[in-house]
Order: sequence, then C-alpha cells, then structure tokens
Amino acid sequence: MNIRPLLTLFALALLPPVMAQPAPETPTASQAIDLGSGAWDGVVNIDVSVLVPDYREPWNAGQPSGGSGTGFLIGKNRFLTNAHVVSNATRILIRTSNDPEPHPAKIVHIAHDCDLALIEAEDPAHFEKLKPLDFGGIPQLNTEVIAVGYPIGGDRISVTRGVVSRIDFRPYSHTSVDSHLAIQVDAAINPGNSGGPVLQGGKVVGVAFQGFSGRVAQNVGYMIPVPVIKRFLKDIEDGRYDHYVDLAASDFPIENPAQAKALGTHGGGVGVMVADVEPAGSVGEILKIGDVILSIDDNPVLNNGLVRFEGELMDMNEIVERKFAGDKIKLEFLRGGKKQEATVTLKRFDPYVRLGATYNQRPRYVVFAGLVFQPMDRNLMDAHQIRDRTVSYVFDNFLTDKLYVERPEPVVLTNVLPDEVNTWLTPYAHSIVDEINGVKIKSLKDVQSALAKKDQAFIEIRLLEKSRPLVLKRELAEAAHPRIMQTYNIQGDSFVGEE
Amino acid sequence: MKLFTSFLLLATSASCLHAQSPGPAAPRKKRVLTNAAAAAQPTVQNSSLVKVNATSQSYNLHLPWQKESPSGRRGLGVVLAGNRVLVTAQMAADATYLELELPESGQKTPAKVVAVDYEANLALLESPPSDKQKAFFAGLKPMSIDASARIGDAVTILQTGRVGELIESPLNISKVMSRRYIVEGSGFLVYEATGIIRSEANSFTLPVVKGNKLAGLLLSYDSKNQVTTILPAPIIEHFLKDVADGSYEGFPGLGMELQATQDEQFREFLGLKPNEPGVLISAVVKGASAEQAGMKKGDILVSINGFTIDSRGDYKDPQYGALSAGHLVRGRAYVGDKVEIKVIREGKEVTLNGTLARKKPEAHLVLPYQFDRGPRYVLMGGLLFQELSQPYLDAFGEEQRSGAILRLARIATNPEKYEEAGRKKLVFLSLVLPTPGAQGYDKLGGQVVNKVNGKVINDLNDLAEAFKSAKETWHVIELDDFPHILHLDTFNAERDNMRLLGGAYRIGSLKRLE
Repeated sequence: MNIRPLLTLFALALLPPVMAQPAPETPTASQAIDLGSGAWDGVVNIDVSVLVPDYREPWNAGQPSGGSGTGFLIGKNRFLTNAHVVSNATRILIRTSNDPEPHPAKIVHIAHDCDLALIEAEDPAHFEKLKPLDFGGIPQLNTEVIAVGYPIGGDRISVTRGVVSRIDFRPYSHTSVDSHLAIQVDAAINPGNSGGPVLQGGKVVGVAFQGFSGRVAQNVGYMIPVPVIKRFLKDIEDGRYDHYVDLAASDFPIENPAQAKALGTHGGGVGVMVADVEPAGSVGEILKIGDVILSIDDNPVLNNGLVRFEGELMDMNEIVERKFAGDKIKLEFLRGGKKQEATVTLKRFDPYVRLGATYNQRPRYVVFAGLVFQPMDRNLMDAHQIRDRTVSYVFDNFLTDKLYVERPEPVVLTNVLPDEVNTWLTPYAHSIVDEINGVKIKSLKDVQSALAKKDQAFIEIRLLEKSRPLVLKRELAEAAHPRIMQTYNIQGDSFVGEE
Repeated sequence: MKLFTSFLLLATSASCLHAQSPGPAAPRKKRVLTNAAAAAQPTVQNSSLVKVNATSQSYNLHLPWQKESPSGRRGLGVVLAGNRVLVTAQMAADATYLELELPESGQKTPAKVVAVDYEANLALLESPPSDKQKAFFAGLKPMSIDASARIGDAVTILQTGRVGELIESPLNISKVMSRRYIVEGSGFLVYEATGIIRSEANSFTLPVVKGNKLAGLLLSYDSKNQVTTILPAPIIEHFLKDVADGSYEGFPGLGMELQATQDEQFREFLGLKPNEPGVLISAVVKGASAEQAGMKKGDILVSINGFTIDSRGDYKDPQYGALSAGHLVRGRAYVGDKVEIKVIREGKEVTLNGTLARKKPEAHLVLPYQFDRGPRYVLMGGLLFQELSQPYLDAFGEEQRSGAILRLARIATNPEKYEEAGRKKLVFLSLVLPTPGAQGYDKLGGQVVNKVNGKVINDLNDLAEAFKSAKETWHVIELDDFPHILHLDTFNAERDNMRLLGGAYRIGSLKRLE
C-alpha cells in the first residue's frame, strides 16, 4: 500500500509480460549486421504450444493455446529464455533465423520467481556449430543497447535500439509477487521479444522480459540483468532450482526525527526500522518489530532501506538476492538503543509463494457429493473471481496477519455442483472450510482424510465466518457422489498432488 | 495516491447519499411541472398536509472538522394531534433549517425536530409557538392513523401540485414483509404496493392514506416495475406512542441470528422431525435481549410470546399471514416488555423469560449510522484519529474495499474479538496531514490504534487522555498493522497543533469528543 516492503509480495503487477526477443551480437551498436556471418545464429525463435490449467473445472485438461518468444544459446545445447515463454508448455519448438526447420526442445530448468528458464533441443546435432553468446555486466546509464528477437510484426529476426534508462528493484510480473533488480531500456520491447538477449558491445547484458502496460509511460521496456541471470545459472548448478531466499521482514523508513531519536539511531541517515517480521522466515527468531537494521554484510543500510552496492544505491534486499538457501549473512541492528549482531542463515519463505501465480502444475482439488474443494492460491482467486469478504481477507492478509501460521493451506469451497443432495448448500460456495467433523482443515489433504472417515452418520462442514454448518447425510452423499461425477463429467474425484 | 483516491471516493459517495438514499426515493429526480390538464383535474385540498422544506448538511467523514455543502430536500408532511408534523427521518437528517409551508397559500413557518428515529425512519416536527405558528395551523386539522391495512387493500399516495391541488395515485397492497429501512440493522414491517405513482416535485416524504386516514409513508418507488414500499401505520403508531410518554426508547430487538431449517438433512442433523417448527440460532448478540434472557447459540427457536416460529423463521400474523419472527418483537412489543421464548436445547424444550431492550447505536463497536452530529476525532501533530463507523466504510463503496479498508470492514462485520478485549470503539489512524512533526508518516492511513504511551486505547477519550502522558519527549503510538510503531515528538506535535488551528486546512478544533 505504501512503504516499500522487504518482501517482494506487495509488488503491483503493472507489467504484463511481453514475449520473445532475439539479440544481435555486434561489436559496436551502430555497426551493420550481416546475418550471413552467423553472429546471431544463436538467437532462436521459440514456438510454444501451451495448455492453460483450468482452475474453475480443475478436473479438465485446460485451454490449449500457443505463443512465441525468443531464446539464445549460452552453452552447449543450452538456451536461455523467459520462464513465461515456456510456462505450461506441451510442445516447444526452436527455429534459428536462417533455417526454417523446427527442432523440438524441452525444459531443463525453470525459475518462475525470476522469470528465467533453460531449455535444450532434443537433438543437439543441429546446434553444435553455433556460437554461444557471452555475458557482460551491468551496463551504465545512458549507454546504448540493442534488443534482438522475434517480436510481433514479422517472422524474421528483429533488432531495436535504445539506451539504459534506469537500474532499479522492480516487480517481475510473471508471478506478480516477486521483485528483483531490473534494467529499464527505451528500446522497443514487444510481445515476442521475451527471452531474447539485450546486447552491448556484443555481450549479453540482459534478457528482455516485460514492458509497461500503463497508458502513461512510453518507451519503457525491462530486461533481467546479468546478476539475476548468473544467480539462476549458479542455483541450478547442482541440478535443481532452489528458489530465492528472503529475509521475510518488512522495513519502514526512519524519516521522522522523533522516530530516529526514540529508536536510538542518533540521525546520520543510517538504519531502517523493522516494521514486520514473518515468524516462519529467515529472521523470524532474530529480528523484532522496532529493531533498526544498521548494516547487512557490512554494507551500511540507509534510513530508507537502501544500500550502496557495486557503486549504485540499491534495495538492501539486493544483498540477500545474490545469496542461496543455507548461505549466511551478517546483520547489525539496534534493539532498545543497543547495538547487536547476528548471523542469519537464509532460507526460502514458502507461505508467500501461494500469493503468486503458479505454472506447470495440475490444479489440485477434491470433489465430494458435488462440493468442490480447492486450495487457496492466486490461480484459484483469479479463476473464480471470488468476491466473498472472508476469502478476500484471508488471501490479502495471509502474511500481514500471519494467517499461514494457523492455516498453511486454506481450503476454499469453490463450487457446489447442484444435485438433490446438496441443493440447500449452493449459496455457500466461495467460503473457506474451517472444520470437517471436528477436524481443523489446514490443507487439501485434511479435507480428503476428514471425508474418508466413516465413523459418523453426518458430514458436518463448518465454514469460516459463515453462520451455519453445511450438513450432508453420509449415506445420501455417498449415493449421490457417483451420480454427480457422471452428470458433470468429472473423471477423477480428487487430485491432491504428486507423491 | 491513496489519499487522493479516498478523497475522490468520499466525494462520490457523499453525493450518492443525497441522490439515492435507499429509502424513500419517490419520484424526486424528475421534477414535473404541473401541466394544464393536471391542474384542471377536480381535486380536493386535504387540510392535513403541509409541505416540508429542509436544508441538510452532513459532516465530511474524511476531514471531520468540515461540513459538506448544504442541500435542500422537500416532502409532504402529515399534521397530527398537537400541531405536530410527521415526516420520514430522512427529511430531518442533518437538518440545518426546517420549515413548513401551506401547499395552497405558500405561507411558511420554521420548524424543529421533536423526536427522530433513524432506524424506524420517522421524525416528528413542530413549529415553535408564535402568532405566525398559530395562524399557520389555524386552517389545518390533524389526520388520524389507521393501522388496519391488509394485503389486497386499496391505498392512495398523496401529492400536491404547484398551486396546492391534491394529486392522488391509487395503489393496492400486494405484500407485507419485513426489511430494513435506511440504516443497517434489523428489519421493520413494510407494505409493498403496486400501481403507478405520478411524478411530482415533492419527494422525501409522501403520505399514504386509506380513506381519510394515514396508512403509512412512502419509502421507495420503483418506476420500472411500478412497485412501491410503504412505511406502515403500525410502525408509525409504535413511534408516536413511544414519543408520547416523554422519553423515547426506540424499537426493541432480540439480537440474534436465525438460520432457516428447510434443508431435510440439516433438520435431521439438528434432531428436528419433518414437520416440526423451529429455526437454528446461529449467533446471539452480546448484551442484547436474547442473551439476557438466556438464549444460546445452537438453540432451536420454536416460539416467541406463544407464536410458533416455522422453519423459515416466520410466524403466522393474524393480520398479515406469514411474517418474519423479528416483527413479533420489533413491531408488536416495546422496550421494557416481557418476552417469553421457547427453545429446544439438547432435545428438551426450555422456556426463557426476558425483558426487551434496544441496543443503542452508541453501544456498537462500529457506529452503524450517524446523523446530526459530527464524527468524533482527535488530531495530534497532524495525525488524525477517528472511531470507525459504518458511514466511513460505506464512503469507500463495496468495490473499493481492499488493503486497510478491507481489514477495517471485516472488523465491522466481526467485532467480537475487539469487543471481548474491552474495546468500546475502534480507534484508527485515518489520515496524516503533512506537518513537519509527522514527517515520514504521510502515506499512512487505516491502521488500528492499540496503545498510546503504553495505555490501551478503547475509545477516543482514552486516546486524548493518553496523549497527556508521554513518558519521554515523544509519544509512542502502537498500531495493530504495519508499521506497528510510530513516534511523535511531543514539543513538535504541540507546535504543529497550533499551526494547524486556523491554518491552511481550516481546522477550528483539534478534537471533537462529544
């Protein structure tokens, strides 16, 4: 709402992804490119068939569609692209600029939180002679870059030119909850450019990934900078992507002189207040509300939460961003005016993943006697357009009010498929399930196991903040169940996840 | 940005309040001048009707030291015994000036409110005694009230034209039910009638007569479906009887929530036989009549004062047929009356005896409505604190509820946790004015205040008191929400207070605690 949180979750999803862009490899930006030279052969078009999961009818396959983006060779049969280019893909085809032959490919690693993916051709032979692109560093402001890719407007490779406009911590719209370092350029980045390289001096300085959807801003495109790419590549070295780690605390700038005095910072512009701490996060046991963070890994933290890092003022989270699960950081902070020091072992903070969009996952659900139960997450909230105040409150305040502590996976009664057995229950769709026959529902699996217990003649489902329980007579419900499954064409009555 | 949005919303909804108050929305938008044909119709002057002109001005909920711009309302009042004039409460709401006008001659006299009940949407006006007043009422005679109307009866809506001629629109009562009038809360008796109402200038109050007697006041008219709702005579009689004894108590309520039991599986679960009456009590309001009488959540309510309550929550009214059980208490009984309630508890019938009371709006954690008085507030060094009220939330509209407003709105619907903690009102930081002392806090708003200077804040009086006892040279303000802690320099806050008084924000007082 206000104040920049340390967590990336409050990020507004202003930036819808733009897809695919190739990058030319050129020594100087203004030099003409000879496509015949093969310099850009490593920049490929990625054609994707996707199946968008259906969170309204979770037992269905989903909606087939397709898209196109860009990728580029960074090593032996390794193509880097955006996660959103290949999300929910059922088929991936790679084409190079001078060869119309499609080559089937598959995902090796995908990191939705930083919108990057690594794919490989199923038959590497065709790409063996291509030269991979090299990485540069963080380009300076007002220096020229070119974006290369296969955006809308034609079939062949495209080049656009611009300068580096801004280097900032920005929301990544793919999950709608993550924020990382991003570089803003004024080169045109259009749908299809996504995943393509942005080059300076022939080296990759970023991956084009999103534009700006607002009507106000113009000539705003964003690329994922090299530190984020390098982090991704390092993370997957062990054969697995482990996700970003997070302090899981929010800060509040100390601008008020009384606040500074009371918290004991004595001015000087150093120190940011801790305004919220997630008990399940990395610093849950270390920091408290009202502490003042003075430094992070010996980098002084300014009163607005920024650090000077690699010559630029950046969000202090940028220091944490470069680390991996299990890494340690040193924190210096004030508590009650006294300086303290702590070593924090960083870990991933899971509850907030639920608040972001997820991909490549089969929707989970349980159907019983026409009652459809699904775990609350962003995909579900978007698909069902839930307006119920309690559900909205729980989703919006899942972290701020620490609701995940009591209920790690809230389960929503999303639908009641009408039948004689449940005809009085239809108005209660879009409610959070509190208990079933006295068992507190903390996850979808709890629903399945509570319904499976056959010791009682009635199934009593209590809903959160709803005035009456939903009651089904077990024998009637069980008799109706197969009939409802058949009527509504439901193949399986549950999917609670891969074991 | 949030600030800007809030202002916009507030402005929009404030105008809505005038344009489309949910209640007596007669044909006031289209002001149809009486045409020649209408004037030529043979009409009889009714000597019990007076025009009522009201100027109303509500407080600005966002900047509570200010008032909104005044606006005018017109209606047609009914002269009752003692030269008192009955109108809907909406006519009198936030009134700055009220006057009565004779329809034919245009003669006017000022008026004031004798009694008003916003829940029952009724107000009684009178004109202070004077020669003018005496002359004004000389030709008027009181109308009597007829509470006998039933479904199928013919009634007439009265309006007056430009020169005072009477315009009659005949209607038929098609339904009698229970629903809320203009403010949140339990339902009241309503007649629903069908027929076309001619569109005239008078609006906020129009009398409905049966023969020559008052059968009700118009609540709303849906011109598309030609459906009218009428505030009925039984409620008017109740109001007048209550006013007549000198102290006004209002309409009692039981304070409970009912769940229908038509669902067969649910009935069996509750242990109800197929044709047994009764509804499930799903909630009992703390401190209200039902709780005092010993009613518990989970009871099955089977009768009130000898009337059986069916599985829908209705009883058989001798006059109207099936009607919501709420009317047994609200419409047919008075505060202080005894009530006998039968419930089934653990399979056995239990008789509960109690005395009926009314939960006053002030007794709610979140004020359900407020008229005539300004919102309470405390301003300290640019930080504006208010007590949460339903009108404040309504000003944001249902669609705009997210973030802080969503959290506050949820507390309004689920106040139990805060009430049990001993809170009388929910004090929250509503706005931060850009003073030097509040530097860094100007984007805040919507956070519930928990403690100030170590003292628990149960209402604004506590807050004002707590600000007198800073332990250091700063105030410590603890909030329930992000960022949880604020500090305010005591000296700078006082200095900013002085600058705010009469400054750019035109603040006349740093608090309103009455």
